[in-house]
Amino acid sequence: MAKKLRSKKAVERGTNIAIYVILALISIIWLFPFFYLVIQSLRGETGTATPYFWPKEWTFNNYIKLFTDKSIFNFPKWYLTTLIISIFVTVIQTIFVLVTSYALSRMRFKMRKPLMNLMLVLGMFPGFMSMTAVYFLLKLLGLTQDMGLVGLVLVYVASSCMGYYVSKGFFDTIPKSLDEAARIDGASRHTVFIKIILPLAKPIIIYTILTAFMAPWGEYMFASLMAFGKQDYYNVAVGLKDMLDKEVADIYFTRFCAGSVIVSIPITALFFWLQKYYVEGVTGGSVKG
Amino acid sequence: MAGLNLKHIYKVYPNGTKAVNDFNMEIEDKEFIVFVGPSGCGKSTTLRMIAGLEDISAGELTIGDMIVNDVEPKDRDIAMVFQNYALYPHMTVYENIAFGLRLRKLPKDEIHRRVTEAAEILGITEYLSKKPKEMSGGQRQRVSLGRAIVREPKVMLLDEPLSNLDAKLRTQMRAEIAKLHAKLNTTFIYVTHDQIEAMTMGTRIVVMKNGFVQQIDTPKNLYNYPGNKFVAGFIGTPQMNFFEGTLKKKGEQVEINFDYSDAKVTVPYSMLYKVRPSFLNGEKKVVIGLRAENVSLDPAVVKASKAKIKVKVSHKEELGNQTLVYGDINMEGDGYTESATRIIIEAKGDTEFASGDVLEAALDIDRVHLFDKETEESILPRIPEHNFVDCDVKGGVLNFLGNSMQLPPAISCVDGKYELLIPSDAISFKGDVEVNVVSSENINGKTLVSFELGGRRMFAVAEEEVKKGKKKISVDFKRISLLKDGETAVEAMPMNVTFKGKLIKEKVVEEVEKDGKTKKAKVVKFFFGIGDAKFAAPDDMANKLISAMGVKKAFTEELRYECTPYDLNFDETGISAEVVDTVDYGKEKFAVLKIGEQTAYMLVEGNASGSVRLVPAIDKLAISIAEKDIRII
Repeated sequence: MAKKLRSKKAVERGTNIAIYVILALISIIWLFPFFYLVIQSLRGETGTATPYFWPKEWTFNNYIKLFTDKSIFNFPKWYLTTLIISIFVTVIQTIFVLVTSYALSRMRFKMRKPLMNLMLVLGMFPGFMSMTAVYFLLKLLGLTQDMGLVGLVLVYVASSCMGYYVSKGFFDTIPKSLDEAARIDGASRHTVFIKIILPLAKPIIIYTILTAFMAPWGEYMFASLMAFGKQDYYNVAVGLKDMLDKEVADIYFTRFCAGSVIVSIPITALFFWLQKYYVEGVTGGSVKG
Repeated sequence: MAGLNLKHIYKVYPNGTKAVNDFNMEIEDKEFIVFVGPSGCGKSTTLRMIAGLEDISAGELTIGDMIVNDVEPKDRDIAMVFQNYALYPHMTVYENIAFGLRLRKLPKDEIHRRVTEAAEILGITEYLSKKPKEMSGGQRQRVSLGRAIVREPKVMLLDEPLSNLDAKLRTQMRAEIAKLHAKLNTTFIYVTHDQIEAMTMGTRIVVMKNGFVQQIDTPKNLYNYPGNKFVAGFIGTPQMNFFEGTLKKKGEQVEINFDYSDAKVTVPYSMLYKVRPSFLNGEKKVVIGLRAENVSLDPAVVKASKAKIKVKVSHKEELGNQTLVYGDINMEGDGYTESATRIIIEAKGDTEFASGDVLEAALDIDRVHLFDKETEESILPRIPEHNFVDCDVKGGVLNFLGNSMQLPPAISCVDGKYELLIPSDAISFKGDVEVNVVSSENINGKTLVSFELGGRRMFAVAEEEVKKGKKKISVDFKRISLLKDGETAVEAMPMNVTFKGKLIKEKVVEEVEKDGKTKKAKVVKFFFGIGDAKFAAPDDMANKLISAMGVKKAFTEELRYECTPYDLNFDETGISAEVVDTVDYGKEKFAVLKIGEQTAYMLVEGNASGSVRLVPAIDKLAISIAEKDIRII
């Protein structure tokens, strides 16, 4: 009895349909909370939770009030503080991480392996373990509250080199002979890094920038500790959390939702802007492919 | 444009692996040198050391007239072409080629001129604005060559540049690189594992294996005079046939016996004069090498030949113009697997052979290569080390080949028949024995003179060319040995003295002149500790040792010092030794010394005896790290 053969196309179509259905379901589950947040931020009625999903009254007031009503919660100031911190951290951390990874990838020195392992293990400890110690150190240096901005940048940047792992892995894939060719061509190590390696490392630079920006942007623990209850020194995460305090949540919940949406804008924008480099492979053609 | 000089270059990795061992070579300006060998032989490491991409563990590298051991790659004025091209992928071809020039801050129009010129030479003008990934392998390698030549470097280094290309392109690029060399007139150093590339391109080839240089010579000489079995097998296709066997000298005939086979040929000794005498006793195993083209199946040749063996044909490879016949000299052998009896014979293309046929083959013994089976070194060197003749001694007079010479008092032996070994460099062309010089040829800087004495061909190494015709010679008697029944009766005098010791660092209070005043200050001084004595070490020698061994190990590692009997003097401050005897070689007298366990000789005037102290000539010492056997000075 001949076995009935199904056409290859039909099989492919069947699998594709199944895959897309699963993907659609997953994205709905993923996107729903954000969608809910956007809807809530446009709600006219106050109160934390409503028994119905679609708002009865649509309004932009929550967004406008967030920026104009600074009497109790100074959202614009937090936003600015957070932005400044994040930009500084992004710039410094990206440089640190790339330079460290390049050195660890290319140079051979004593204790290189132990150092790499040590950094990897240290990086696995959660940051808040040293929180109190770090706080008191910064306080001694006068870098809390008033100078909290500087303190926070320091805290976020201090251990950034430990994130060398991914970028070192990337640098390892760039053939060493490129460095060697450039060095023979007359370049110093520095020039090799700037003129040869960095242009080839775009995807990893983007990755480093994104992760470096995201961490301080949503960070809560150190920021709240550093501000020590003074609203002027809050960042957005700490500030928005305050809006959900029991006493005020009823009035400010919708405004909190609006704030959350605004907070997500820079990250989304950054990602959309940079994602094309993410995908682009640039090493093709450098050596035999 | 410059020559290179590599002196005792070593590469030792931290784990103790020696990648390159005692590499010595002088490369002249405009030479095309090829480093060839199987992978892992140290050829690329050597090239990378020349480029400055690897540190030199010990030794001295000179480019032009500058020692460049510690010079950055960019300041060595070299260019390198990599196996994987190593083009900068984000730059266009133009930018790739111009990169090095831009870094050197050349004016823009000059850069443009050079880039377009290089592009024209290499035929890549139309690709100048393309990115490397849009190009094929051959084109990329051209760009990589272009990047190297625009810099107009003193030395071009090429690290397996053609290995990533397909066979046809490789042949084409091979010719182009050779053309480029002729055009640029600069020194090329080329690394490859492909012996055909090496043979076709190099003016001289360096064959390497396991970090050791096997032989440095021209392609022709490598083919005709391989220094050991490895070189013989590595150079030439099909591979040289290797058989095992023994050589037995019977009067003026030599019998060559092949192992694992009944094959045996007898040839006159005159064909094998250059063979090292100790291998002619019929016991020491040798490897007999014959190339496929030096074995003939042509009936006319076989008929005329005296060196014939039987071959059982197993199969053949027809290559059109010629046929490679595979067979075995052992009638039980299969002729397929490489063995000590398998033979490959080059025959004419139109000859027919059936497998299983037993044929007679003629061996061209003039072209035979012989190697020691144990060390695999050639025992048929181009410059023979010894002359081996029969002699007899009677009342202190040595008679050989119809001549007689008075032996010096140092050589005393019972009257009788002996075999005489005269090292070829112990014969000098000043003396009273008349010979007839037949030829004089320059071999790797040495002059080999062949002459006839009493109807026998003999060899001598001379400082300079010796004209043909009648000449007079003398023999340095301290270098000769006499053998009786294969046992040494009179031994040649050993020509080197070895000491063990260390490098010592001491702080010495010295008067130093500073700002016009003389002050006492502590100064670090280095000494060679040898035995129970120590000698001031010149700073440059001490520095070489320290830089080779590292500051920590320099003063703990045991060193080996070597010198010749001519470099020793008596002095109160020296190494203690005992004079056991004095030997008289006529013109020179030598003291026989006991230094610890070692017996050594030293040149003396008059007589010496009892306890003495010795000082070596410091500038003539050869110094090595004893344990690792790395020669530093």
